[in-house]
Amino acid sequence: MSSANEGKSARAAATAAERPIYLDYQATTPCDPRVVDAMRPYFTEAFGNPHSVHHVYGKRAEAAVEVARAQLAALIGAEPREIVFTSGATESNNLAIKGVARFHKARRPRVVTCVSEHKCVLESMRRIEREGIQITRLAVGPDGLIDLAALEAALDEDTSLVSVMAVNNEIGVIQPIAEIGALCRARGVAFHTDGAQAVGKIPLDVEAMNIDLLSVSGHKVYGPMGIGALYVRRRPRVRLEPLFDGGGQERTLRSGTLPLPLCVGLGAASAIAAEEMAAEAERLAGLNRRMMGGIAARLDGVSLNGHATRRIPGNLNLGFAGVDGEALIGAMPGVAVSSGSACTSASVEPSYVLRALGLSDQSARASIRIGFGRFTTEDEIDGAIEEIVGAVARLRAEGARAAE
Amino acid sequence: MPKMVFIESDGNRREVEAPLGLSVLEIAHRNDIDIEGACDGSLACSTCHVIVDRDWYARLKAPSEDEEDMLDLAFGLTATSRLGCQIVITEELDGLTVRLPEETRNMLLD
Repeated sequence: MSSANEGKSARAAATAAERPIYLDYQATTPCDPRVVDAMRPYFTEAFGNPHSVHHVYGKRAEAAVEVARAQLAALIGAEPREIVFTSGATESNNLAIKGVARFHKARRPRVVTCVSEHKCVLESMRRIEREGIQITRLAVGPDGLIDLAALEAALDEDTSLVSVMAVNNEIGVIQPIAEIGALCRARGVAFHTDGAQAVGKIPLDVEAMNIDLLSVSGHKVYGPMGIGALYVRRRPRVRLEPLFDGGGQERTLRSGTLPLPLCVGLGAASAIAAEEMAAEAERLAGLNRRMMGGIAARLDGVSLNGHATRRIPGNLNLGFAGVDGEALIGAMPGVAVSSGSACTSASVEPSYVLRALGLSDQSARASIRIGFGRFTTEDEIDGAIEEIVGAVARLRAEGARAAE
Repeated sequence: MPKMVFIESDGNRREVEAPLGLSVLEIAHRNDIDIEGACDGSLACSTCHVIVDRDWYARLKAPSEDEEDMLDLAFGLTATSRLGCQIVITEELDGLTVRLPEETRNMLLD
């Protein structure tokens, strides 16, 4: 038994030493060990169905879920009962968009969104469009941000919902959420924002920012996969048509038994984020400068995609002139990055987000997304700089030879 | 005396007397209109759900948070849904028109 365990841990250590530097924090973040510790008892001795009201197993489980709900609520300035647990941000986005649009379809058959949203937002929009709802898709500027005047012009009495993401998953830019919220509130339009890449990374306050619906993802904030949440404002009440029918859990908005350990994990991750977000953002800004400076000092033809300052510190979307992003990734076995978002990387098309910024197909193809976070070290950044600079230089030299 | 109108599930319009100070639920019961009101107006159910005519909806006092919570549970909720027990007749509501929903959340009837 013990020798088997030793064998396992030796293998694990060997794998850890060989595995590439993880720089894909926008795809997923590792679960914080403190989160795993908080979750562990709820798989075994503290199990129970949080909806069982007749015995201590259920009551204890319910109490744990309510602690988690309060922890997440505190992170975004909400009341605990405004939090609806879901399976993740994809479900939250589907519920918010389809839910509001369908509820108000008869009187307000229009929804406004933006072209650089996550696929699950864009596909939800396509679905309700087939149901007869009109969709206005706002363009973004070369910096990746929407134009507030264009948004204002798009709002009319038929508009039920505006859905604009807080932080873009490919280029890391932060949309003007408070300004959008104020415009929507003044016109009685519900405002949904996909906060998958923003919650726990930048301060968000649903009251101050007039956010009516906010999607949260567990595994983007060092919590577990398979859990997320949708904040649904109670005052003024936001009405939604649920996606699921069932036992009426989560204010009837999301029927289904809550996954107790996952809820606890999201709660713990939220509490840690609330505590450490400010210091973490500062540290990541340092890593960001180190990486950008290190690469730009040694390579020409490097461009940063998206707004230079209105962005989260844990993301760099970089274009390398004359280099194909896919080829570059293939030439850097020592780092784990992606060319676009993991959600769309099954397709070989250039990123629609980068195309929306006005980049040519060629420039979009020459870009990679670098994401770092809580567990990224300076050594890893330095190692990644070497790997990236070396690979870009090699590919450019090969390209030059081929052109001769 | 003020009057009010119920539009029943089959589309039938019934105009009835609406004494001041009575709730829409109480008026329905006096006139044998088919609204359940299982909790007798104590904000513990959504069985007196009515859909208020759009023009009238804006003239009602805003629903309380407790009423909103119960409305969350109502079947066939609309943007102008209210609980009949929470609308009390005043002079200004003379002519109030409400429609009965097609379904209520009464499990015994299902």
